[in-house]
Amino acid sequence: MERRLQQIFFALSFLALALIVAAAWQANTPSWKTYQRNFLQLEAQGEPNAVTKAAVLATPPEIHQVMLTGLQRVDRCTTCHLGVEDPTMKNAPEPFRYHANLAPHVPSRFGCTICHGGQGLATDKDAAHGNVAFWPNPLLSKDYVRASCGRCHKEGEVPGVPELTEGRRLFESQGCRGCHKLNGVGGSIGPDLTAEGANHRAPEWLERHFLAPNQVSTGSAMPDFHFTKEQAHALTYYMLSLTSEEMGSYYASVRLIPGPEYGRQLFIEKNCITCHAVGGVGAKTGPDLLGVTKRHSTEWLDEQLVNPELVYPGSSMPAYDLEANARKALLAYLVIATPDDLQLILSKRTRPLSAEEVAIEAGKQDFARFGCVGCHGTELQGGVANPNAQGGEVPSLLHVSDDYTKDEVIAIIRNGRTPPLDNAAGPAPPLYMPSWKNVLSDEDIHRISDYLWSKQEKKAKDSW
Amino acid sequence: MNLIREIWQSIVRRDPLSTDKGKSELVFLNVWLHIHPAKVKKENMKFRHSFYLGFITFFLFLILVTTGIALMCYYRPFPPQAYQDMKDLQFVVFMGPFLRNMHRWAAHGMVVCVFLHMCRVFYTGSYKKPRQFNWVIGVLLLLLTLGLSFTGYLLPWDQLAYWAITVGTNIGSYAPLIGGQLRELLLGGHSVGEAALVRFYVLHVAVLPSLMILLTIVHFWRVRKDGGLSRPVWKLKPATDPLVTIGAPAATAPLGAKAASATKTYGLMEVVTGKPIFETVTAEEEEDTVFSYPYAFVREAVTLMATVTTIMVMSLFLNAPLEELANPAKTPNPAKAPWYFLGLQELVSHSALLGGVVAPALMVLALIAIPYIDRNPSRRPGDRKWVLGLFTFFVVANIVLIVVGTFFRGPGWAMVPPWVHVVGGAE
Repeated sequence: MERRLQQIFFALSFLALALIVAAAWQANTPSWKTYQRNFLQLEAQGEPNAVTKAAVLATPPEIHQVMLTGLQRVDRCTTCHLGVEDPTMKNAPEPFRYHANLAPHVPSRFGCTICHGGQGLATDKDAAHGNVAFWPNPLLSKDYVRASCGRCHKEGEVPGVPELTEGRRLFESQGCRGCHKLNGVGGSIGPDLTAEGANHRAPEWLERHFLAPNQVSTGSAMPDFHFTKEQAHALTYYMLSLTSEEMGSYYASVRLIPGPEYGRQLFIEKNCITCHAVGGVGAKTGPDLLGVTKRHSTEWLDEQLVNPELVYPGSSMPAYDLEANARKALLAYLVIATPDDLQLILSKRTRPLSAEEVAIEAGKQDFARFGCVGCHGTELQGGVANPNAQGGEVPSLLHVSDDYTKDEVIAIIRNGRTPPLDNAAGPAPPLYMPSWKNVLSDEDIHRISDYLWSKQEKKAKDSW
Repeated sequence: MNLIREIWQSIVRRDPLSTDKGKSELVFLNVWLHIHPAKVKKENMKFRHSFYLGFITFFLFLILVTTGIALMCYYRPFPPQAYQDMKDLQFVVFMGPFLRNMHRWAAHGMVVCVFLHMCRVFYTGSYKKPRQFNWVIGVLLLLLTLGLSFTGYLLPWDQLAYWAITVGTNIGSYAPLIGGQLRELLLGGHSVGEAALVRFYVLHVAVLPSLMILLTIVHFWRVRKDGGLSRPVWKLKPATDPLVTIGAPAATAPLGAKAASATKTYGLMEVVTGKPIFETVTAEEEEDTVFSYPYAFVREAVTLMATVTTIMVMSLFLNAPLEELANPAKTPNPAKAPWYFLGLQELVSHSALLGGVVAPALMVLALIAIPYIDRNPSRRPGDRKWVLGLFTFFVVANIVLIVVGTFFRGPGWAMVPPWVHVVGGAE
């Protein structure tokens, strides 16, 4: 017995040693080392002589990582994706292939996961691509990866991603805010969408949801807006981009994309038209700006905007305090500026709306901007299905003055209202009027009611 | 050569181990080994009596201390870095997953073994006089083990950790008057957050292990002082020759005590009153004893290696769980406490006050009081039917509750058998 026990002790000790060796072996043979060896062989193929070949092959394996404090992440993707920045790897097999059109989003500043998703910290394929349990953010497929542009480029037009612009436009024009909050503004019927992208829903799910809300999540109060496939795609892009992350200042600063629309806005804001003309339309104090971008280089024009006196001593043009992106935008507008457009700008300047008209127009914009149109319609026609509410749908507001005083309507907007039931025993209707007093100022509410009444009066006049 | 021998002899001062004197001195002269007696009863080493559960528990604790110190080198106790450190352990630290797995599985193993050890001590009646207080120390060690496991549960800062601790500390807050304050003291706030993580870390790596070591020393010391390791009841021999004690007054002294002689000089060991710590004084018992070296030591060594290899095999093939980063805004349904508290959570789901406060408090108090309530001196199972039945009932009830809580509770704490897959859950 004693002898046997001693033997068992030594056997177990050897087993323990073997297990440690096995664990060390397991730790020492990760899949990324195999990828690196394969990559080195691929690189060595291109080397002309044996010495450099051997030197390449002798490169010790190491984990490559990019610490991205501004994006709150560490990406180790380039441990395996070794050819991302190497143009000679254009036709290499994955994971070594060169990433075309990368600049200015170089991996050393941006990493990979901010656009592609996945798990940057991981160093084996399945975990890194997010195809594992408890990593809710798998790689975005090729169809949706451009949605990530909107995570930094939160405003304006994103070049190459018309879907984002269209998604944002749809969101604001179709009345989504009537039910959904975004950055604190919106209704309370649907879920807050401020960080919808951080929920990591599958893009396909989102897209199907936009096409037929009730088929994807049963019992959803969301009406079917009869979006086209393209619209659903665009809205999906927008949703994916809403991650509400904190971005470092470096990433936040590139949000502004210089585009001609922004330039036009600046052209109006800065009153360029008081001195300049385009094709004869405008003032004659300064030079006519038609074709100015062809006459001078971009650098010259940029310098002129920064410090006119330096370019033309004695110039009467003031030095506008414009940042680099704003100057680019302004120049972009000057490329496309036409006399007709100037006429349009001029006309807005010379014939302002009356104070009353301004207020009603503002009310109309509020009505659209805060999403009232989502249920009540762009023409106040109502008609969105709302089962078991009186009439079975959201009421039209075209005849609101017949049933309510202005004060009553203001009270309803402020405090919200549950619609009267069709069948008292039935379930509560999915849609109701949310309370807006915490979202809209009293001024906004009054403007909206003024807008509603302006429609009533028109109708009254028409019927006369 | 002489120098080497001199150095060796300056370290090892005992006689060769081939002699009985050497075997005794190996124990006496070694600070680590002298918690053992020089000689042990053969019955002390019977595996089928104790299953060496106390040893296994202690060895698991040693594994936990070793791996724990290694893990501390890679861990920052603040969110969200704590979670990132888990990912680094998983993906870039050499043998990091193995290290974490060992710590995790040894921790679960220790909770299981400390519980089984307690059951063994109860079933063999080993808590009886003079070992009552050591049972109490044992209960405290059980609570410390649970505390260590519970505080360690939060440290990975993933969803599993976050919600288990949220649920666990909520159970505690049902205590009237002090429950809320106690929870706030533990968490450093009203909910699990940065402050809670630091507090749990301090408890986990400093406070609780220190207490554990202190009480373990007392526990082991008491075992020696109370007559050595527990022996099978059927091997106990009735004391044949009453022991002679010197120095106690004749009237109140135990049987056979002698009055001290005024003319004789006594050594210290002769005047210490009470039962000798080691019962190998009579001749017939002498033949049942063997030297601790190698008989006891080789068994301990085998137990140690068996424990270590078992944990290593598990760690090689089973990965410790790590879920998503803790997200206070996203409650899993159901949110479950660590498994050893799921019996409690199950009770809480029926009544917060009764299940979360009264039942566990009574359970702990009853455990502590057992040796003082159970005054039946017999250790024979035949004489203890009623007590054994009652204890078995509680053990089984506890296990059933934990199994139900772990495997049979689905979203909304509804009864869902493990073979039914719930689709979706609440979104």
